[in-house]
Amino acid sequence: MSEVSVSGKNFRRVVNTLMTSLTAACAFFVVATLVIILGYIAIRGVTSISWQFLIDTPKPVGEGGGIGNAIVGSFIMMLLSSVVGLPLGIAVGVYLAEFGDGWMGNIVRFVTDTLTGVPSIIVGIFIYTLIVLPMGRASALAGGIALALIMIPIVARTTEEMIRLVPTSLREGALALGAPQWRVTLGVVLPAASSGIATGAMLAIARISGETAPLLFTALGSRFYNYYLDKPMSSLTVQIYNYAIGPYDVEHKMAWAATLVLMALILAINIAVRFFTRQKV
Amino acid sequence: MLIPKKISQAVLALVLVTVAAFGLACSGDPVGKNSGDSGGGTVQLQGQGASFPKPIYEKWMSEYGKLHANVRIDYQSQGSGAGIKAIQSRTADFGASDAPMSEEDMKKADGEILHIPTVLGAVVLTYNLEGVAQPLRFSSEVIVDIFLGKIKKWDDARIKADNPNVTLPAKDITAVYRSDGSGTTQVFTDYLSKVSPEWKQKVGTDKAPKWPEGIGMGAKGNEGVMGQIKNTPNTIGYVELAYAKEQKLPVALIKNSSGNFVEPSLEAVTAAAAESAANMPDALHQSITNAAGANTYPISSYTYILVYKEQKDAAKGKALVDFLWWSLHDGEKYVKEKLYAPLPPDIVKRAEAKINSIMSGGKPLRQ
Repeated sequence: MSEVSVSGKNFRRVVNTLMTSLTAACAFFVVATLVIILGYIAIRGVTSISWQFLIDTPKPVGEGGGIGNAIVGSFIMMLLSSVVGLPLGIAVGVYLAEFGDGWMGNIVRFVTDTLTGVPSIIVGIFIYTLIVLPMGRASALAGGIALALIMIPIVARTTEEMIRLVPTSLREGALALGAPQWRVTLGVVLPAASSGIATGAMLAIARISGETAPLLFTALGSRFYNYYLDKPMSSLTVQIYNYAIGPYDVEHKMAWAATLVLMALILAINIAVRFFTRQKV
Repeated sequence: MLIPKKISQAVLALVLVTVAAFGLACSGDPVGKNSGDSGGGTVQLQGQGASFPKPIYEKWMSEYGKLHANVRIDYQSQGSGAGIKAIQSRTADFGASDAPMSEEDMKKADGEILHIPTVLGAVVLTYNLEGVAQPLRFSSEVIVDIFLGKIKKWDDARIKADNPNVTLPAKDITAVYRSDGSGTTQVFTDYLSKVSPEWKQKVGTDKAPKWPEGIGMGAKGNEGVMGQIKNTPNTIGYVELAYAKEQKLPVALIKNSSGNFVEPSLEAVTAAAAESAANMPDALHQSITNAAGANTYPISSYTYILVYKEQKDAAKGKALVDFLWWSLHDGEKYVKEKLYAPLPPDIVKRAEAKINSIMSGGKPLRQ
């Protein structure tokens, strides 16, 4: 009897050690992949980065050139998509969490989930038909709205999850004090969930900052600095694409450098998210 | 305060940003008219289309911009198909395509579209064969049969016959072709269709043909084909000349219609256009693959800028014709350094006449 239990103990110990090291190995693998990707991009890209590169516009091959207009364009379109997408996404999320328990809510939830899975190129073609063709030209507006369409379902679902985490007792307390439903939602529930909603918003922004496909036919791209929303606008991702597919090694190097800039940007957003949430919780 | 301060601040900020974004950030151009006059007399032109001529077009636009500060010409390359679509839907002021527009494509446009040939290019055969230093030679029949899957080994007797001094390995041939629709494929299959009735019947000329089974693998874009060939031994494929030259890949000599093995030099490409110039139709686009003549490279082609004959906006139209005129004359000196072949003089003359025929409101734009 005692022998069996000792061997059973040993077996459990062995399995325990095995599984612990297995999970550790998996964790290491994930971290290593990220480090390798970041490191490789950094090594390939860092040699081509200079102030000139960061502020210049694209030039004919062999004459230098940079990604200044692409950085500005990416920021403008991210801002535009946030202005359009965040309020809509958050509003949908609030609806789903607070009022979305009926059949209507289930439909909206299903549609939102489906929308999350729509390939981004489809969104691009949709906006091309909806905005670019009637307008008669590609524009930053079309690009920003395409990106917003990708953001909305992500923001909506994270918002819903975050609001559902707010304890019912808070709502009941506010209602008991005589506050109408809309004030409970806006004044009590939303602030309580704000840090989580902000995280979802930041992650959605990080997600769209890496999108190329929805911008190819909508914002198109440009060789110039452009600040007008109704004109074609350059973006980092499209510029990387343009640099990467050409025959020239100098342009391939610039593509790596632009990728490094984009990675740094996304990393900065992610770090901002971490910082933001740590402060609040 | 009915609404908590934080929320009202956030709402206020959002409203301000939205108003700022839409109020300040539009160029003031009437939407849909695509007006050229904006921002203090600056004319903006948008081009879209083929990726093949992008380096020379960007060079032209950059140099032309230095001479004419009030003209801003932009070009985005997303392939010949996108160029045709953009000019049909008038989302661009000019399109660019390696393949001429078909009759059907022309019908879909709401006006007469002109083809202006700009430069010439070559599609080259490149390969990855270890231990083979000198350029290989191929006859058209051999190329057809490699891409039909009939010649399977590198040391096939028919390849050997054209390359008597080369030791060829007894390895399987892997053909690499474009998986995406492409002007390069159009030119390549046009050539194969001209030299082989069997190819014409089985595969035909297409931007994205149905390749015979088991000949090899597809890859996206010139860069994809180039990458596959660089990284896979015993491959053969076709890319634009600039890709092979820039990436220092070996380039095959191809037997032309006169029976000479010709290197894809810029002179040989211009020669192919010059030999075919007498038969150039009024529409000013033609296929020049498998051209007659002793020194012509057989897989050559024009690339075109597509413009409406009737320009809706006179200021834009004027800028466009002036730019086109400048490109064909002053711009020609940049052509060879970017690895394109210049147009033969006869064709430049014909293109001049085409540019002169572009009108706005019934008046020719170029005097």
